[in-house]
Amino acid sequence: MPESPPPAHTATGPGRVIIALYAVMALAATGRSSVQIAEYFGRAPLAYVLSAVAALIYLVATGAIIRGGRRAVRIATASCAIELAGVLAIGVLSYAVPRLFPDKTVWSHFGSGYGYVPLVLPILGLWWLRRFRTSAPAPAAAPE
Amino acid sequence: MLAPLSTAVIVVAVAVLLLAALYAARDRLINDALLGAVALLEVALIAQAAIGVARIGDLSAEKATFAAYLFSLPFIPPLTTLLAIKEKSRWAMVTIGVGAFAVAVMTVRLGQIWSAHA
Repeated sequence: MPESPPPAHTATGPGRVIIALYAVMALAATGRSSVQIAEYFGRAPLAYVLSAVAALIYLVATGAIIRGGRRAVRIATASCAIELAGVLAIGVLSYAVPRLFPDKTVWSHFGSGYGYVPLVLPILGLWWLRRFRTSAPAPAAAPE
Repeated sequence: MLAPLSTAVIVVAVAVLLLAALYAARDRLINDALLGAVALLEVALIAQAAIGVARIGDLSAEKATFAAYLFSLPFIPPLTTLLAIKEKSRWAMVTIGVGAFAVAVMTVRLGQIWSAHA
């Protein structure tokens, strides 16, 4: 049961800004990963594959938030969650085992090369998407 | 020719950012003046891409990264403007601002590559 009437669509109001941020990140990550993979894949294969994965997830999130609707909200929520897990895991790893990351990825050092947008954006996304999860099957967690 | 143009791009991008902030403060929507400023930014970005591609041979390294920035940049203003134009609230201006800010930051990076390797 929603406490307040939910906004009409995921792509309205603050959703527009979140889409813009996601689209820009998708563009940046796609650009970076294609350059890295095409030009010097051998230098840091793990980092570069991760850049490509990040790019793909940003694209999925952008599309799903634009689309809206129950299924898209679930897909968008999942991509935001994967992103948050990714940026946290890679962030810790890049400090703990720097030799795994001889070159930067979008997610290394918690996205510091991108003004920490990669860290903040999934949190913003999850916050925004939360209000659209009407009658979503809640898996026995966090009482609303 | 590229460095002064990049500086101009950054100046126009910051101007669009400030204009969007002003509009947001006054609760105004996209109008011809703002669209004109965005169009000017777009023309500058396309010119930058054309000149950058023509001069790419001058770079001693980072050619691919440079090209990626050159080609990505002109997509940003149309994308964020398209998103903002249908939004009838202050969030439209925040969307425009995000695009302008991204253009400014990416152009600064582009300029850094150029001055380091050309």
